[in-house]
Amino acid sequence: MRLLKSFFSVTFPLVVMLMMFSIYLIVTKVVDNYKKNITNDYAIVVIANTPLSNITSLANIAVKNIEPLSREKIIKSVEKNLSDTSVDLLQKKLPYFYKIYLAEFPTNLTLDKIRKELMTISNIKKIETFSNDHNKLYSLLILVQRIIFILFSAVFLLSILLLSKQIKIWFFEHNERISIIQLHGGSLIYASKPIIKIIFASAFFTSIVSSALLFGIISNIHFFIEPEIMALIPSVFSMEFEIIQIFILSLTIPFVTFFGLLVKYKFK
Amino acid sequence: MILAKDLTLSYNKKKNIIENANFKVKEKDFIFISGSSGSGKSTLLKSFYGELPVVRGHLFVNKYDLLKKNTGQLLSLRKELGIVFQDYKLIQEYTIEENIMLPLKVHNYTDEVSTSQVKKLLKHVKLSHKIGAYPAELSGGEQQRVAVARALAHNPSIILADEPTGNLDDYSSDMIWTLLKNANEHLGITIVVVTHRIPTDLGIKYRRFNIDEGVVYEAS
Repeated sequence: MRLLKSFFSVTFPLVVMLMMFSIYLIVTKVVDNYKKNITNDYAIVVIANTPLSNITSLANIAVKNIEPLSREKIIKSVEKNLSDTSVDLLQKKLPYFYKIYLAEFPTNLTLDKIRKELMTISNIKKIETFSNDHNKLYSLLILVQRIIFILFSAVFLLSILLLSKQIKIWFFEHNERISIIQLHGGSLIYASKPIIKIIFASAFFTSIVSSALLFGIISNIHFFIEPEIMALIPSVFSMEFEIIQIFILSLTIPFVTFFGLLVKYKFK
Repeated sequence: MILAKDLTLSYNKKKNIIENANFKVKEKDFIFISGSSGSGKSTLLKSFYGELPVVRGHLFVNKYDLLKKNTGQLLSLRKELGIVFQDYKLIQEYTIEENIMLPLKVHNYTDEVSTSQVKKLLKHVKLSHKIGAYPAELSGGEQQRVAVARALAHNPSIILADEPTGNLDDYSSDMIWTLLKNANEHLGITIVVVTHRIPTDLGIKYRRFNIDEGVVYEAS
């Protein structure tokens, strides 16, 4: 019973931590995916008096493409209501329209910088960024991501603390055995074999429970998330990759904690 | 085997327990270290297996200089020693066979060799009938016989024993002395025993070091 209790005192914080980490990764993927989509759709419209010369980057963001808008198309759309002289005049006076596509989706702050940078180009008359709608949802997603990261960090610290306390208790429980083995020439790692075994078993159990939980959540995600938000979740979501990540983490974290304490124990 | 040159030992800087000790323990010697309670007998023995650091002077055990030892050398030295304690220091969660097997496991002996060696030793210490028992199921004398068997398991060059009969009745004490005597006589193992009660009828040539107020001298 005591062994079971100490076993769960390792697995429980680890499972919570791994779940938080998985959620953080999923949200990060959603944000990245959304960012990619809006970056593809998003463009700054620029109106210039003369054709634009080459612009390679704006506020340190690479310019992916500059697409000129067809002047003929614009004239055609309005020529029905105009006389021939007005169309001629329009053809002479109509400025050049461009859509500037960026490699990254800019924040509001960066957009201000971009606007200022574009304004320094003398032939540019007007700049339209159309950023408000995109930015609202994007900012909200970033906020959720940051909150989850803060929560994950808190859970991570707490879990490491609980984990190290439990490993310390195990060292204390096995203290006599460890010192007897060391008196017979066994190394500290050799003497700590029983602790390593419990840690390995706990970590393995944790990875199975966490993977099963994650699998259960992702398989039934429609119960937790609205269909509109579901559309944001990337379709290429690799369950295998998530499980491998959980497995590696669930083994790494307890063993790193264990070896940290082992060094402390050795110097003590 | 063991060489002390101006050896000084202390638990703290205020008072030295052993001061400027000079002695030599040769191969196949049977040594008794005696003295009154608190004289530093066990302290001296602890320094032989590196449990207590050398404060000043030199202490060589086998080829190891205990003043300049590192962890690796300390573990290597301990692999060459057999240690018997007054409180047996058996691992309670292990059976008596597993306890005896401990130094063999540390030496990476195969399971086959270890099992056969343990059987021989259990027979030697007259505990074959206790196979599978845990230390808590044995009497004090029997536990100490297991401890002696464990000390003999890997054929050490030196056995260090700290009051091995301190907690035992006369019958059990006799058995322990016989086992240590046989190890010295037949296996050529150097024996160093800390005791306040040297057996009168050991029937073997031995040397005796006495400790008095931190001074180690060989008594005739």
